Amino acid sequence: MSTLIADTAPPLLLSARGLVKTYGRGAAPAVAGVDLDIGERMFTTLLGPSGCGKTTILRMIAGFETADAGTISLDGVPLKGVPPERRPVNTVFQSYALFPHLTVFENVAFSLRLLSAVTNLEGRVKRALDAVHMADFGERYPHQLSGGQQQRVAVARAIVAEPRLLLLDEPLSALDRRMRAHLQVELKDLQRRLGIAFVYVTHDQEEAFALSDVVVVMNKGRIAQTADPRTIYSRPADSFVADFIGGATLVDGTVSAAGNGRASIATAIGPVDAPAVEGLAAGERAVLVIRPEALSLVPTGTGLPASVVHAVYQGERTMVEAVAQGVALRFADHAPPEVGETIGLSLDRERCFVTRIAA
Amino acid sequence: MTARLPALGRAHLALPVALLVGLGCLAPLAVLVIFSVFEVEDFELVPAFSGRAWAELFTTPSYWVLIGRALFYGAMTALLTGLAGYPVALALARLPAAWKGVAVVVLLTPLYTGEIVRIYAWRIVLGAEGLVNAVLEAVGLIDDPLKVLLFSPLTIGLVLLYNNLPFMVLAIWVSAEMVDRRLIEAARDLGARPISAFARVTFPLTLPGLAAGVFAVFALAAGEMLTPSLLGGTYGATAMAIIDNLFGTAFDWPLASALALALLVALFVAAVGLASLLLQTRGARAVLQRGRT
Ligand SMILES: Nc1ncnc2c1ncn2[C@@H]1O[C@H](COP(=O)(O)OP(=O)(O)OP(=O)(O)O)[C@@H](O)[C@H]1O
Ligand SMILES: [Mg+2]
Repeated sequence: MSTLIADTAPPLLLSARGLVKTYGRGAAPAVAGVDLDIGERMFTTLLGPSGCGKTTILRMIAGFETADAGTISLDGVPLKGVPPERRPVNTVFQSYALFPHLTVFENVAFSLRLLSAVTNLEGRVKRALDAVHMADFGERYPHQLSGGQQQRVAVARAIVAEPRLLLLDEPLSALDRRMRAHLQVELKDLQRRLGIAFVYVTHDQEEAFALSDVVVVMNKGRIAQTADPRTIYSRPADSFVADFIGGATLVDGTVSAAGNGRASIATAIGPVDAPAVEGLAAGERAVLVIRPEALSLVPTGTGLPASVVHAVYQGERTMVEAVAQGVALRFADHAPPEVGETIGLSLDRERCFVTRIAA
Repeated sequence: MTARLPALGRAHLALPVALLVGLGCLAPLAVLVIFSVFEVEDFELVPAFSGRAWAELFTTPSYWVLIGRALFYGAMTALLTGLAGYPVALALARLPAAWKGVAVVVLLTPLYTGEIVRIYAWRIVLGAEGLVNAVLEAVGLIDDPLKVLLFSPLTIGLVLLYNNLPFMVLAIWVSAEMVDRRLIEAARDLGARPISAFARVTFPLTLPGLAAGVFAVFALAAGEMLTPSLLGGTYGATAMAIIDNLFGTAFDWPLASALALALLVALFVAAVGLASLLLQTRGARAVLQRGRT
């Protein structure tokens, strides 16, 4: 599955090897050995729970933190000892960090004014503001803008000097759902138009899937999986990834046979033969990942008997949770059964996946 | 029938104190105004209108010199403490939290000692047989004691700087603490070297603190009486000391009142002018408006 990315991989822009960072003596490492490759023009997302080291990685790339071990190179040139102001990398901070004493125009012009010879400063600032639809707000001060508008200015400020790489640390997390969905589309669109590589940090997997060419799932300072969104979803590298992506039921079991990209696993709901990660061996403990779409209702008395414990109405469909052999299974249906009802479930094993138990 | 107060919100909690301060400020002023147009007969204040005190004040240049000197001391001290205090305040803001408390206590220690004690300590340090001269002589740098150390304008400048530095540092420190470190990082990220991040971000955003410090130190130093008169020799005659003398020994209350009022007006106009100059800047305005979004 890594060949799948390699085939279409664009030229390498940034490459990190063996990054380690520990804050303070005796603390667990915030980043514990991370390798990262960022291709030109790629939209890469670091996805993981709070505290897993995402911001720390961005800060090391931007030059605000020095790694205890490991290297980061840009275009093959090591960045060690290069201060933030000399890296062709700009950041959109989670808090926006707009300069309160400068107008929107001057905020965006900030990086250009620091350059010795800039032609057409005004035009470039205007173009950056245009790109984020903020051209009419140049004379305002940051405190006169809404959260979404401030976020756009932060993006304009970070792209105006045309960095090679743009780092975005949860730039949309402070916004409401609608604004977020709207700006996601705009960010993705902007990234395509500018052709700048983005490294985006979020802990929202829907956002990660919607935006990214490559998703890097992180767990406790390590990378659990690096792949395109579809692969992350359908072939999670371990139980942490499957669980973090959400929605699935994870059922423990023992592998009875494995090979050729498949495995047979004995679980509480019976033996299942399904696609599997590479390298599983018979006798090993593993998990069966059951996505909602792998389950469907069949006439009661056929399939796997289960009793309905929850039905959560979600508009278009209803999420149902039913227990079979002590295992809670989730699936979606348009005509949901009643809570307490006994139903029959059929399992599409081709839509299941057998994967490792995360360390 | 509830009283209809203007919509002050929680701000009306400040009303009692504001009233007290207002009264405490205005009552003595009113008394001064009235006294300045009274007459004195046989060492007694007589409530009869007279412009004598004001006429004397306006026609005697030495009074204007005194007021000018007060303004000069104030401005000089504000400038010196501003220059010396700014780096100290920034360093203080960057100390690890655990050290800040210690540093602030050390900074304020001189204030606990009391003015008279401090002044005599300075005399011991700077006098002809004082510490500084003794050391310089022992090292062989000088043969005779340096006279300029004590009872000179230099002494006044030095001691006013020393006495007022803590106020300036405190004022700037508070506003330096409020500068978001992430803004400095943003500036660096956008290509600013440390020195230009300071000039373009930190400095403008600490101007309100500098303005507060200038305001406070200017008023404190200009109104200082003991330090200049006990350490400044012939340069030490201050308007404050003359006012004290006029109220006391000379018993010319009208003239004392007129001089006091003139001094007050001059100081107030100058201090407000200075501070508002600083507060007009973009950085200061941005900080002051922050709470109003
Ligand atoms: N300046 C610091 N000093 C000490 N510990 C820190 C510091 N910054 C981060 N950490 C610790 O390092 C770990 C990783 O932090 P980091 O900010 O990289 O996480 P994150 O993945 O960005 O989390 P979030 O999604 O909450 O922003 C956390 O355990 C955090 O407590
Ligand atoms: Mg973070």
